[in-house]
Amino acid sequence: MGLAGNAAIVGAAQYKPEKYQTAPQMFHLEQVADLAHQALQDAGLHKDDLDGLVINGPQFHEASVFVPAMAAEYLGIEVNFAEVVDLGGCTAVGQIWRAAAAIEMGLCQAVLCVIPARMAPLAPDEDPAWMAQAMRYGGHSTAFGAPEAEFDLPYGHMGQNTGYAMIAQRYASQYGYDEAAMAKIAVDQRFNAQYHKDAIFRGKDLTIEEVLASRKVADPLHVLEIVMPVAGGAAVIVASKELAARAKKRPAFVTGFGERLSFKSPSYAKDMTVTPVAEAAKRAFGMAGLSPKDIHAAQIYDCYTITVLLSLEDAGFIPKGEGQRFIKEHNLTWKGDFPLNTHGGQLSFGQAASAGGFSQVIEAFDQISNSADGRQLQGCDNVFVSGTGGVMSEQGALILQGG
Amino acid sequence: MANLKPMPAATKISAPFWQALKEEQLKIQQCNSCNGWVFFPRNHCSHCLAHDLDWKEVSGEGTLYSYTLTRIPTMPEFSDEMPQALAVVELAQGVRINTTLIDVAEEDIKIGMAVKPVFDKVSKDGETLLRFTSTSNAGGVRDYIDPLKDLERNDKGQVQVPVSNLAALYALADNNFTDWSNNIVVDQELINAFADLSGDDYWLHTDPERAKTDSPFKTTIAHGSLVQVLQSRLTIALPFEITGFKTMVNYGSNRLRFPAPVPAGSTIHGRTKVKDISVSHKGVQLTLEMNIHVLDNDKPSVINDLVILYR
Repeated sequence: MGLAGNAAIVGAAQYKPEKYQTAPQMFHLEQVADLAHQALQDAGLHKDDLDGLVINGPQFHEASVFVPAMAAEYLGIEVNFAEVVDLGGCTAVGQIWRAAAAIEMGLCQAVLCVIPARMAPLAPDEDPAWMAQAMRYGGHSTAFGAPEAEFDLPYGHMGQNTGYAMIAQRYASQYGYDEAAMAKIAVDQRFNAQYHKDAIFRGKDLTIEEVLASRKVADPLHVLEIVMPVAGGAAVIVASKELAARAKKRPAFVTGFGERLSFKSPSYAKDMTVTPVAEAAKRAFGMAGLSPKDIHAAQIYDCYTITVLLSLEDAGFIPKGEGQRFIKEHNLTWKGDFPLNTHGGQLSFGQAASAGGFSQVIEAFDQISNSADGRQLQGCDNVFVSGTGGVMSEQGALILQGG
Repeated sequence: MANLKPMPAATKISAPFWQALKEEQLKIQQCNSCNGWVFFPRNHCSHCLAHDLDWKEVSGEGTLYSYTLTRIPTMPEFSDEMPQALAVVELAQGVRINTTLIDVAEEDIKIGMAVKPVFDKVSKDGETLLRFTSTSNAGGVRDYIDPLKDLERNDKGQVQVPVSNLAALYALADNNFTDWSNNIVVDQELINAFADLSGDDYWLHTDPERAKTDSPFKTTIAHGSLVQVLQSRLTIALPFEITGFKTMVNYGSNRLRFPAPVPAGSTIHGRTKVKDISVSHKGVQLTLEMNIHVLDNDKPSVINDLVILYR
């Protein structure tokens, strides 16, 4: 069961993360075309090679239904495979394996996976106040009949921070909590960001003391352990083995994947400290015929430091409960013995809405294709990528391998 | 009602849960087919999907599964609860409930501690939220406390509401109108003066002879905009005064309607109520619904939702 490894990432494009206030405003359709153009150039392929499209549905500016049709028409392409993925921060990983699966089934040969995440221009009579209103409840639905509107919001349970904080508290009560170890995740990733020209926190060093001195948002999480939302956007081209042979760069073959959706609110998890990536990673490793010790770099979705800790443990890199000790004993930078989020992670690279998940996918491709500039790992053939949506609600895993 | 604390909107499915809380009982669903306990309320069992659930009263005893103390409010409306003690409680039946802990000192909160329910009356109407506290506390019912009760009053008897006291501000939006204002008469002379001033001398307002035959009201009527501005001549005793702000800005109107005519010679009066309080980065926004009626007419002649911004 699963992939034979006959589809590969062959090209990518990613806007430099920028603050919303200063980033260019572009229609999402315009961003899709711009990112597609850049990604095709990166791959050395042509628009007419594209015959598949996977795009985000939620938060697409110019349409809420018929999004793939509108985007394909705008691009001037016809496709044999069109898909919308709605998995929050796991969308990027979810797009890649769906594209690979469609290619291996023979539906198509080259799929554009894309998430625009710069703001669109306001209409002449548009009051920007609606955006603040829409952001008020974070990812929480306020619709009549939505369980979270009825049973969470009246108590002030809202957004992502407090859910992740409660997961961390539960973890602490079971396994202990070492604040400095958690801070070190952010610090080692910040080191990596100094070697990525586009990272939003490039040029700003970070120490464990600074993380621990930063403002607490919800116990035990400090603000510097929480990702910063930025404007951005990304596209990746997944292509068949045959097309990949024509690509400019060394392809990153998709040899394993897994996906697991366990709940919306972690309050209803079977066990709050066992995350869905456990199942997803097991499936991905099994499919690729690899184990965590075969992995040369781990690109772990990092909306919070606690997300990284739990993902590393549950994906099988570290035994359960030993993550904090492991983090303190190992150098997690690209120069170290356990290269983690070698672009800085979203914590230091920036989180461009659900396109933030592409930063991990693209870093894996950059490392495998020898495009990682000053932070290039030597002999990087096998990379693990995770994606996380909601509050540890849904997670995905990819194994990417150089051919 | 825009930005008050979000309140639960009971559905057909969940109504028995909220009704039980009002009656100071905790009821959750149990499946007759597999005996599984279910929360939140559903029409089917989340263990076996059978459509065979019954509401059962439970004690509400449970343990603290996890919690966090917020250092930044999750929404501005919750700044009166800082730090919010957001919690997940696991009932003895195994289901988990999102809630808040009350009356437990920060250092005494421990995951795994035994907790029991508090039926928290959060409005005058008895709306009840399910909170939890330590089993060493009394638990039971927390009565509604009118946040206006202990505030000072000025020499006009108006309760003094600091613009920073969100709970008190929200309590002002209680959907109750003030008493009626003084009466004033809108006669033809006043209507003519407004016609001169505004330039709107349409016969329906200014020609009593023609109006007798051609007007659907058989008489002239006042301009809607005249009646609207006459609010300045109406003295309305607001039961409160907002204090402690730097500036107060008249932000305009959200809604202006003239549902009923004011025939020449009518006596009018007005009243108002706080329709909404909302908080944003711009400050505190108070929406006053001003209604002006012809005496003894239930249908208002003017509805004006005035918006005032305090910062």
